[in-house]
Amino acid sequence: QRFRFCGDLDCPDWVLAEISTLAKISSVKLKLLCAQVLKDLLGEAIDYEKILKLTSDAKLESGDVKATIAVLSFILSSAAKHNVDSESLSSELQQLGLPKEHATGLCRSYEEKQSALQDNLRACSLRLSRLDSVSWRVDYTLSSSELQDVSEPLVHLRLAVRRGDGGGMDTVPVAVSADKFRVLLAGEDRAGALLPPPE
Amino acid sequence: MLLVLSEEQRAHLGCLRGLGAAGTGELGRLALELMRGGAPRALEAAARSLDVGTEALQRGLDGISYLLAESSRLMVSETDFQDSVHVLGFSDELNKLLLQLYLDNRKEIRSILSELAPRLPSYHNLEWRLDVQLASRSLRQQIKPFVTLKLHLSENGDQTAQVLQTDPSTLLHLIRQLEQALGEMKSNHCRRIARNMK
Repeated sequence: QRFRFCGDLDCPDWVLAEISTLAKISSVKLKLLCAQVLKDLLGEAIDYEKILKLTSDAKLESGDVKATIAVLSFILSSAAKHNVDSESLSSELQQLGLPKEHATGLCRSYEEKQSALQDNLRACSLRLSRLDSVSWRVDYTLSSSELQDVSEPLVHLRLAVRRGDGGGMDTVPVAVSADKFRVLLAGEDRAGALLPPPE
Repeated sequence: MLLVLSEEQRAHLGCLRGLGAAGTGELGRLALELMRGGAPRALEAAARSLDVGTEALQRGLDGISYLLAESSRLMVSETDFQDSVHVLGFSDELNKLLLQLYLDNRKEIRSILSELAPRLPSYHNLEWRLDVQLASRSLRQQIKPFVTLKLHLSENGDQTAQVLQTDPSTLLHLIRQLEQALGEMKSNHCRRIARNMK
């Protein structure tokens, strides 16, 4: 059977197995657990002590606690990835055997943070490199060893490029003559005109 | 096949004679712990309890580690092991103890040795992105989809990344080739070999 939150594929076996573990925790504690897992997915530090306290009532072993965190991370991030709304997620989780209260609590937490999650995932998407900043300077060449009266402007650009793997910055210095710079600007304007207007 | 022990190794193992059966058992246990990557701190405590100097203990450990590792590596049979050890001139009790030590632990030693083999870079993660090129400086009004992949590999703890780019039809061809490779494992030829290897 296909599930939207799994990307229109079958639900993985391990997720199916862990849903029964989730049912052992009370629905109130499950909602708090979701809040912790969402914090982790959004890049804030996860409070493992709190999670242990929340799962202590259900008397889960340490392996089960880790499995619970893993299955909640999967459900929440996969639902955000495939842009599933919270009602569909709730009904699909109930089809998998999660009790109604648990599913409702989980989906409410998901709904609050859905757009933040999707923004985070968008930012984590593969990027090779990005332009960080451009600094410029215009010089005026008066004369040179080749020609006594040059009288030409010269544009110096310094492009700061951030590497995609987070590995730091590269600096690219470019010196452009006035004519070439006008051609460059014209090309950029034309490319800019093809972009959709900012919302 | 017989183990050939050099003069130096025979000298190392010679000190076992002085330790007796209990001491040799202790030394063997220590050598196995070191092979598993245990702490060398235990050496001084063991030297004191066995009443030998730390240097003598180290030499004994070297000797017994070599004996166990080489015999496990070559998978020598019981009789060959006994014959190899016989040349050291130990008492029967000591010989039996060494043989028992070898037989009990050779499977574990072999698994430790297997992890020392060199490895190729292995898969760590694959990030991908689907883009559509709409226009370029040379041509406007295009629709050209392509997939950018970043393959993360890890080799002995170092991580490298390889960036690849392909159009969808090449990607489909790649997927079909990989599925065919997986399908090979189910062919009769591979199944026969896998059965015989077990």
